[in-house]
Amino acid sequence: MSDLPAELTARPLALIGLFGLDIYNSVHHSIWDAFVNNRRPDGAAVQFKLISSTHEFPTVKPKRNSYEWYIPKGILKRNWMNKYLNEVLAVIVVFYDLDWHDPQWNEKKMECASRVQSLRAALEGRNTKIAIVLIQNELLSPPGTEDLVATERATALCAACELTSKTLYFLPYADHLLGYTFRLEHVLYDLAQSFYHQEYRIVKSHREQLNKTAHQYLFVRHQFKMAFLNELKQDQNTAHKHYQQAYNNLLDIRMVDTNSLEIKTVASFINYKLSRLMFSLKLPKEAIAQFRSHVDRFMTRTGPKELMFEHHTWICTQYSIFAELFNEAIRQGLPAVQTQHPGYYFQMAANHALQRHNACKELCNNVDVYPDPDPLAGEEKLEFYGQRPWRPGKLNAEPADLTREAAAIQALQYKEKTTVNHSMIRIGLLGSAISQFKIYRCPRKRRLLVVEMAEEYFGCKDYGKVLTLLMHMLWEYRSERWPVLLTDVLKSALKAAYLSASIKDYLILALEALGPSTMFSIERKTNIFENIINILQNKPPNSEPNLSEDLKDCAVDKWLAQVNQNESFIFKIDDNMASFIDVKACFTQPKYTVNSTVTIEVFVRNLYHAEVELSKISVTVTGSGYKSEIPIIDSHDRNLIFSAKEVKKYLCQFEAPQLDDSLEIQINKVNLNLGNDKRCSVILQFSASGRETNLLDRMYPEIQQLRGGLFDSVRPLITAKIEQEESNVTIITECKQPALLGEWFSVKILVSSSDKISNVNIFVNLIQDNNSEQLTELSLNMKEKQSSVIFEIDTIEPTSSVEQVVFVRAHNVGDRNFLIKAEYSRCRKKKDSKEITYSFSVVKPFEVSTQFYTILYEPLTKGFIDEPLFIMPHIVSTSPWPIKIEDTSIELGNSLIEERSLSQESILKNIVLEESEAGTDVYCIVPKIGSEQPTSTGVYTIKWRRANDENTIVTSSSVTLTPLWVEDAVIGLETRLPPHGWVRTPLCVSYFIKNHSDYLITLRLTMEANEAFMFAGHKQIDICILPESEKKVEWILLPLIAGFVALPSLSLTVPTDEEYKLNKTRLAEVIERSIPRHVYIMPKSQTIEE
Amino acid sequence: MAVCIAVIGKDNSPKYIKCTDEANALQFHYKIHTSIDIVEEKLNIGNKTAADVRELFLGMLYSTEEYKIFGYATNTKIKFIIVLQSSNATLRDNEVRMMFRKLHIAYANAVSDPFYIPGDQIQSKIFNSAVMDIMGLLVDEKKILK
Repeated sequence: MSDLPAELTARPLALIGLFGLDIYNSVHHSIWDAFVNNRRPDGAAVQFKLISSTHEFPTVKPKRNSYEWYIPKGILKRNWMNKYLNEVLAVIVVFYDLDWHDPQWNEKKMECASRVQSLRAALEGRNTKIAIVLIQNELLSPPGTEDLVATERATALCAACELTSKTLYFLPYADHLLGYTFRLEHVLYDLAQSFYHQEYRIVKSHREQLNKTAHQYLFVRHQFKMAFLNELKQDQNTAHKHYQQAYNNLLDIRMVDTNSLEIKTVASFINYKLSRLMFSLKLPKEAIAQFRSHVDRFMTRTGPKELMFEHHTWICTQYSIFAELFNEAIRQGLPAVQTQHPGYYFQMAANHALQRHNACKELCNNVDVYPDPDPLAGEEKLEFYGQRPWRPGKLNAEPADLTREAAAIQALQYKEKTTVNHSMIRIGLLGSAISQFKIYRCPRKRRLLVVEMAEEYFGCKDYGKVLTLLMHMLWEYRSERWPVLLTDVLKSALKAAYLSASIKDYLILALEALGPSTMFSIERKTNIFENIINILQNKPPNSEPNLSEDLKDCAVDKWLAQVNQNESFIFKIDDNMASFIDVKACFTQPKYTVNSTVTIEVFVRNLYHAEVELSKISVTVTGSGYKSEIPIIDSHDRNLIFSAKEVKKYLCQFEAPQLDDSLEIQINKVNLNLGNDKRCSVILQFSASGRETNLLDRMYPEIQQLRGGLFDSVRPLITAKIEQEESNVTIITECKQPALLGEWFSVKILVSSSDKISNVNIFVNLIQDNNSEQLTELSLNMKEKQSSVIFEIDTIEPTSSVEQVVFVRAHNVGDRNFLIKAEYSRCRKKKDSKEITYSFSVVKPFEVSTQFYTILYEPLTKGFIDEPLFIMPHIVSTSPWPIKIEDTSIELGNSLIEERSLSQESILKNIVLEESEAGTDVYCIVPKIGSEQPTSTGVYTIKWRRANDENTIVTSSSVTLTPLWVEDAVIGLETRLPPHGWVRTPLCVSYFIKNHSDYLITLRLTMEANEAFMFAGHKQIDICILPESEKKVEWILLPLIAGFVALPSLSLTVPTDEEYKLNKTRLAEVIERSIPRHVYIMPKSQTIEE
Repeated sequence: MAVCIAVIGKDNSPKYIKCTDEANALQFHYKIHTSIDIVEEKLNIGNKTAADVRELFLGMLYSTEEYKIFGYATNTKIKFIIVLQSSNATLRDNEVRMMFRKLHIAYANAVSDPFYIPGDQIQSKIFNSAVMDIMGLLVDEKKILK
């Protein structure tokens, strides 16, 4: 905002003079300090000024009674704003040390009054308010009590000074000075406001006396003054209103060449004030609209043609001032958007700065002399803003002095040409715009501005900066593939590189210019290519087109100097730059083993329209801790000359390295050398994947397949795995799954190798899970139980195998996993290992269930003491393998004895059971002791082995048999009955009744007849059985019917008085299980009958 | 009428640019390129509501003293940009919409060509004449022929 006067841009503050403060006095100094230096942020908008006793106040102009004959000479006076900001006091405060109870009260009162009077005299004609502040040392009277002396003396003082009591204040010089000054400040501010209001009324009152024809300037001036006074009063709304009116009045003035600068200057001032107020009043839209119309209105009012640059300067300033105001408003919290922010205004300002520069070049080129005498002398002392020093205050109507006018124009043109650095102005504005566009997310706009900035640097021959800026932009434009823009940027950059004779930059740019994504013509490309070749052969390049002769000459000298240095140069250009050569490289396989040959295919495509020769191609391969540059395999038919658009394929071979820790190698770069190998050469480094296609690939990978062509169809494969040579050791296991519970299960491990290996250690370990380890044993010989097995083999010859059997015994069912690991040394003492996991399942060989039967072969749930019964272990094979039972045995429980303890052979011996076949063993036992709990019947042991394998050993499995309830029996009953009878042939049935108890038992036997038999014997009899004795009862039966016939049923009853000895139900149970119900009766042979 | 019409691909590279004034083509290229900033911003905001997705017309992107630039983006992120002269104040929003609609139809026809590879420059006579028609250049040719 340098172009605006400071008084305009300053924040208007009410001006308050402090009189009578001696700043060498410490008390006064601290009071001054409290007012001036310790301002609070929320303090009133005031400016304090220390007035000394010798101060000279500005003189008051004589008041004009009528404007009738007054012709204004200009619009705004230069001194007016400054006067009101810094000289005309709104309030003057007289400080005076005086206590209410001062002993010399009267004298001091008079002195104070005389000071006020002298001030009043000095301020004659002004409306400045006068106030008195008494600095008091005495303590304040406590609130509520009235100090009569003080009241009385205050009134007296006011009278003496001819002031109202409202303008008398006292300032206790005590602890809370800041609090008092703060309050005083507000009171004084109120006084100041009333002053400015009064001034405002005075200016307003002039208005009636003005007429539109003669006083157009005054309309503007008065409105401006009113607005400014309101600003001083901090009434922004009213100020805004008056500025707007001033602006409107200004527009009514007819603009001609002589007053155009003045009107534009004032318009610019008013517009500045308006914009600032509108932003401050939170009316940003109105501010922008006002600014737009302001610029639109004045855009065409160019003023004199010879001073066109002045117009552009003015427009440029308008934009930059507004942009800064806008930016300031944003800093105060105004939100801005992408399409409306200060960047646009900075950009417009930059545009007009360019136009100014152009106008200056056009108009001032021939001006070389500053006219004498200086027509611009006294520019600083002009009475009005925006007037010409050579014709101040002249009115439109007067004819211009032509010679002076011409001299003045020449002076202005000379100044414009010599003193203004147009480029820096534009660069500064562009810089501001760039940062704004960056903030508001317009990256492309920003790029455009950077290109413009580079153009400006080019104009001022700062080629280094041009190249720095453009190199960055190239990358951006290239990545978005805008060929026209890319070409434009390249053109400028090439020129800059040529003019600065920067070999490396020139080469980089030239290489890119030859690429496919630029729009250069064929001839131009050919020229550029020649230039590359020239540089590589140490010759200066031909000049870029469209350069002026003097620039060219200068550049040629530089080039010659560069080239004649005779130093060799080798540039590396990485793949941040584009060029006319495309490269892709790929491994032929995704995996290689160590020491095998790795082959890389390199595809090189020449996109230039003519023949190109390279001097060398190599590939850089990196892995962790590995880096090597591999040249391509030379072959005669594949030379390094490429005709236009040709694609060639080269091979690159090397031995796969042994890497330290990582397993991957990648093609880091493909290096192409251009030019003489030794002295001048450019190494182009490409990434192996190819750039352009990569970008397209990401967008439409499947569509790229449509393009065809060798190069496009190459899929880059830039990483490959390096693997250790695959060991040829194999471990094979053989076994007959599943394993059977409890057996020593044999697992045959076969180790074989295609190479000779030695020192083979084989570890077999159980992979432990869910506590199975205690229940699994390993052994090499079925004797020593181990938790893991190691065995060693010295050497294994190629293509032979070594086998070893490992035995495993499991004591519960489920799956078992083993890790079999072979560690071995290979031919070159290299340790290597191989491991496999092996798993098998364990199943039960058989299920054993126990069945109990009575002597009568009825299923039985309870046993009775001394009553024999059968126990039958029932074996069901569940093994998929046939099982041969070697032997079985039973070990009975303590309470049982075997009926016939003959050591006879097991009936199941040598029986082979296939899956789900069953075998049953049988033993007759007699329980001897009863109990309340089921008594254990014994342990059944089966010795068995696999029937299908001769090498297995006998496994002994023991099973606990089902326990049995055994009860006491008071009565034993035994029936003797022949196995069968004949019809009509008597047969004898006898029942032996035993009394096991210690009581005498009386029983009633009842035989109930049925139609199948006649019988002889007691039908009903009571018998007595002595303790531990037996009684026999007999019947003779005569069968009448043949067949399986029901016997007459015997029933036993206990007399009711003896029931405590023998339970009735127990008795029924005895009968149930001891007396046969049926008997076979054979028919009588007919022949015998006859 | 329109002074420049452009089709921008979804990777923001130009697929087709036609200017009435070929001498100033570079200037228009820059203008269109910078207008992508605003298109991108609008598309980012537009994604938030379902209703906006259906509206392809993006309205005026920005205006300078000389030109007004309008944008349109298809659902496949193909952007159409039309530059109009600022002095032509009579052109209403609806008419600009119509221009875009015509352009969209012409574009859809052009890319339906089985020999067109998506992502390539559009080089179609029919598309070209459709654009000329929108720019009001074709009419003149017809008149001359008559």
